[in-house]
Amino acid sequence: MSFTIGRRAALMGAAALGVARPALAAGSVTAAIYPGAWEEAFREHVAPVLKRQHGIDLEMQGLFAVDQVAKFAASRGAPPFDCFVLDPGPRITAIERGQFERFDANRLANKAQLPDGMADEWGVATGAQVVGIAYNPKKLPRPTGWDDLLKDPWVSKLGLTGFGTTFGTVSLIELAKAFGGSETNVEPVFTELKKVLGKIAAVGAPAAMPGLFQQGQCDIMYTNTQTVTTLKDRGVDIEFVAPRTGAVSFITTLHIAKGSPAVDNAYKYIDAAISQPVQKALSEAPYFFVPVNKGVALNASLPMRSLDEMSRFVTHDWAKINPLRAGWIDRFNREMAK
Amino acid sequence: MNGSGVSGFARIGPALPLGLAYLAFFVAPLFMLLAVSFFADDRLTVVGLDNWRKFLFDAFHWKVVADTLLLGLKAVFATVLLGLPLALVWRGASPFWQRVLLFVAVMPLLTSVVVRTFAWIVILGREGVVNQLVLGLGLSPEPLRLLQTEFGLVVSLTQIEMPLLLLPLLSVMARFDPNLLDASASLGASPWRTLFRVVVPLVAPGLAAGALLVFASATTAFISQSVIGGGRLVYLPALVWQQAMINANWPFAAVVAIVLLVSVSAVIAVIAYAGRVAGGHAHGTAA
Amino acid sequence: MDVDALTVRYGGFTALDAVSLTVAGGEVVALLGPSGCGKTTLLRTVAGFIRQASGSVRIDGAGIDDLPANRRRVGIVFQNYALFPHMSVADNVAYGLHARGEKGAHVNARVAELLEMVQLGALAKRRPAQLSGGQQQRVALARALAIEPSILLLDEPFAALDRSLRLDMQIEIKRLQRQLGLTAILVTHDQDEAMSVADRIAVMKRGRIEQLGTPVEVYDHPATPFVAGFIGTTNRLPCLAEAGGVALAAGARLALAHDQAPGSAGWLSVRPEQLMLTSEATPDAWAVTPALAVPLGALTVREVRCADGTLLRLTEPRRGAIRDPAGPIFCRLVPGAQPSLFSANEEE
Repeated sequence: MSFTIGRRAALMGAAALGVARPALAAGSVTAAIYPGAWEEAFREHVAPVLKRQHGIDLEMQGLFAVDQVAKFAASRGAPPFDCFVLDPGPRITAIERGQFERFDANRLANKAQLPDGMADEWGVATGAQVVGIAYNPKKLPRPTGWDDLLKDPWVSKLGLTGFGTTFGTVSLIELAKAFGGSETNVEPVFTELKKVLGKIAAVGAPAAMPGLFQQGQCDIMYTNTQTVTTLKDRGVDIEFVAPRTGAVSFITTLHIAKGSPAVDNAYKYIDAAISQPVQKALSEAPYFFVPVNKGVALNASLPMRSLDEMSRFVTHDWAKINPLRAGWIDRFNREMAK
Repeated sequence: MNGSGVSGFARIGPALPLGLAYLAFFVAPLFMLLAVSFFADDRLTVVGLDNWRKFLFDAFHWKVVADTLLLGLKAVFATVLLGLPLALVWRGASPFWQRVLLFVAVMPLLTSVVVRTFAWIVILGREGVVNQLVLGLGLSPEPLRLLQTEFGLVVSLTQIEMPLLLLPLLSVMARFDPNLLDASASLGASPWRTLFRVVVPLVAPGLAAGALLVFASATTAFISQSVIGGGRLVYLPALVWQQAMINANWPFAAVVAIVLLVSVSAVIAVIAYAGRVAGGHAHGTAA
Repeated sequence: MDVDALTVRYGGFTALDAVSLTVAGGEVVALLGPSGCGKTTLLRTVAGFIRQASGSVRIDGAGIDDLPANRRRVGIVFQNYALFPHMSVADNVAYGLHARGEKGAHVNARVAELLEMVQLGALAKRRPAQLSGGQQQRVALARALAIEPSILLLDEPFAALDRSLRLDMQIEIKRLQRQLGLTAILVTHDQDEAMSVADRIAVMKRGRIEQLGTPVEVYDHPATPFVAGFIGTTNRLPCLAEAGGVALAAGARLALAHDQAPGSAGWLSVRPEQLMLTSEATPDAWAVTPALAVPLGALTVREVRCADGTLLRLTEPRRGAIRDPAGPIFCRLVPGAQPSLFSANEEE
C-alpha cells in the first residue's frame, strides 16, 4: 500500500511551518548557520566584513544540518536561504537531492589562499576538523593507535560517544579498521566494545564529553582538535595524539542554494568567510576552528605544520556512510543500553 | 444572532486570542506530527505504517518506553519523598524562614537547565564533590560510579525538578492549618497516621499537580538524561533527537514523539485522577 | 494533675518561669492573663507539643514528660477547633478511636453516643464547613472526649464564638464537665469566661502565676496589683499606712487589717461596688464632687472626683431616674468591705 498524494503539504508544514522569507533587499544575503558557536562567530566576524567591504547585510538562520536539508526540500523553488553550511554527511544528501548550485571557486578572491582539496564543484570549506585521540598525560601513558583505546590502562578511563556526530562516526570507523573492519563494516567495534563494556568509564552525549573529561570522569576520548585546544585554554591537562594510522580530517563546507536569487552576494559572503582576517579570528579563542586559509598561523596543538599536510590525513566517503549510519546509531543504542 | 450567542461570545471572547494561538501553535503542529508519522520513508513520499510497525514490534523500543516512564516515576517518588517533609517544615517556619526556604526551593528555576545539569557533573563525577567526600572519609577504596547511572540521574532530576513539585504543593500547604497536626497527635495518632490520614489527603491536589509536572518534566528532560545519564541509558527523548536531528528520519521521530506524548499523558492522567480522588474526598461536599 | 516548677524557654525568652500548679480531679482551672503571659505555653507543654527546659508534669501521679503528645491521653479543644475538614463529623469524632485501634460497631456506637451528648446526632454526616461555629465547637468537644482523656485542655474555646452564643457554650461545657466529672484546664484572656466556667483561676503574668484561687477570692482579695488591675475594675486610692488602718490622701481614716509598715506610702484597691455615696460627714468618709453618672442596666455607674484630684468609679443600685444628690456629698466604703492595700513600691 503506497501512494504519493499529500506529500508536499506534509513536507512543507512539517519542515518549515510555512513562514515565508521576506523579499530580499538588494544588498543582502541569507545564510543558514549552525546555532551556537558558529552563529556567534559569523555574527561577530563575518557580518561586519561583508557590510564594510560590499555593503551587504548578512541575515542568518540558525539551523542544524538536517534542518537545512529539510527546510530547503519543503520550499520548492523559493529557497529559504542562499547558503548552506554542512558537514560531509548532510552535504552528500543535499548533493544527491540537487539542492546546490554549481560552485565556481574561481569567483573567490581568496581562492589562492585555500589549501589543497578545500573546494570542489559544489562548494568550499569554511573550516576543518582534525580528529584523533585526546588523553590526560598526567594520568595515562601516551596512546599510539586507535586499538589502544580498548586496552588497559586506557580502556578503564575511556569516554565513548556514538555515531551521533561526524567526529564520533569517523572515530568509530577508524576503531573498526584497527580491528579488521572498514568504512562500511563497523561490526568489529561492536564485538570489541562488548568485551570491555563494563570497564569503560563513560558513554556520553557528545556535548557532555568536554565536561566529563574536565571533571576526570574519563581521561581519554576521541575528539577534534577544537575541543582539545578549548580545554587546554581552560587549564585542563589534555594532549592531542594523531594515531599511527593518521589523524582523521573532514571539512565543513559552504554551498549556494539552488535557485538562490542572490548568487553574487552569496559568493561575496563565502569569500569573506574564508578570508585571512576572518579565518584568523575563528582560529583563536574562544572558537579554535581549524582554518582553511594558508595565511593563518596554526595553533601549536594541531598535529601538522601546514594546512596542505591535511590532504594526507584519513578521510571518508560519506556517500557510502550515509545509508549505513542510521543502522549503526540504532545498533549502538541497543549494544550500549543497560 | 440570538441573545445566548452574544453572551456566549462575551464569555469566551477574551480567551479567543489565546485559543487561536493554541490552535495554530500547538494543536496544528500536533496533527502535522501525526500526519508525518504515517509516511514510510524519510523524504515523506510514501504513505505507510512502516515506521509504526518498526517501533511497535520491537521489544527494545518497549524497554525504552518502560525505562522512560520508570525514570519519571522514580523522579516523582524522590521529589515527593523530600519535598513533602520540606513543605511541612516550611509550613511550620516563621515568615522569615518561609521566605528563605521558598527562595532556596525556587532558585533552581532561576538558573538554566544546562548550568544545573553540568553542575551535577561536578558533584557526581569520579573526582566530584561526593566522591572526594567518600574517599576522604574512607567509605570506599575507589570512587563510586554515580554519573552515568540511573541513580545519579534520579538524584539530579530530583534537585532539578524539585521546584515544580514545591510551587503547587506550597500554595496548598499555605492553607493547611498546623493545629491539625497537633489535634491529630492529641487524639493519639502516630506521626505516620497523621501524615497519611490528615496531611496527604489535605494537600493531595497540590501534591498531584506537582507530581504530574515533575513526571512530565523528568520523562522529557533530554539534556539531563543525555548528559548525566549518558549513552548507556536510552530514553525516548534521545531517540526522538537521534531520529530527527541525525538520521533525518522524521516519520520515525514522529512515531517516537507520539509514543512519548501518549505514554506520558497516560501516566499523567492517572496521577491527576488519583489527586482528584484524594482531593475530592478532601474537599468535596457530603451528600 | 501536678505541674512542678515547669520552665519553658524560647531562645533567650523565658515563656514559663518555674510554674507549679495542682489541678484536682473533677476540677476546672482557668489560666487567665494577657497575651504573652505563658498560659498557652503551659497548655501546649502539658499537651506535649512543647518540650520544657526543666520541671515536670504528672497526671494521676505518673510523669508524662517523656511521652510524645500522641501517648499522653490529653484531650484538646483548639481555639479554631482544628476539625479535620476532609472528614465528616462522625469521622472526626471516630478519629481518636481509630487511632487507638478500635474498630467496627463499637466505634459507631461510641460516636453516636458522643454526638447525642453534644446534641449533634442529626449532623453526623455533615462536613465541618457545613456547621455553625457553635456546632463545630461541639464536634471538637466530642472528638476530644472520645478518647476519654484524663484531662481536657480548652484553648480559648469561646473566642471565635458570637457573644450571644458564648454564654450558652460556657454553660454547656460546665454541664458536661460536671456530668462526666472531667478535669479541665481552660486558657482564656476573658475574665468573665474564667469566672463562669472555672472552679479556680490562675492569673498569669510574664510566665508566672500571680495568684491562684477561687473566682471570688481572686476578685475580692487580689494578691497583687496586677491581679487587682486585670480582674474586674478597680479604683486606686493613694494613702499612708497606719497601725490598724490607713489615712487616705483624699482625707479620711479607715480601719483596715493589713501587713504594711506604719507610715509607708501605698494605695488601696477598691472595687466600684465597695464604694457608696452618703450625705453624712463621718471620719471614714471623704468629700467628693460628682463628675458623671450613666445607667448600666440595673446599676448606676458614677464617677466622682476626690479632693486630691483622684477620680473614682463606683456602682450603686438604680431605682428610677438618675439624680445627682443635692448638697455636699461624701464617699465611703460599704460596710464589711475589705479592700487590698498595696505598697506604693509594688509595680503593677
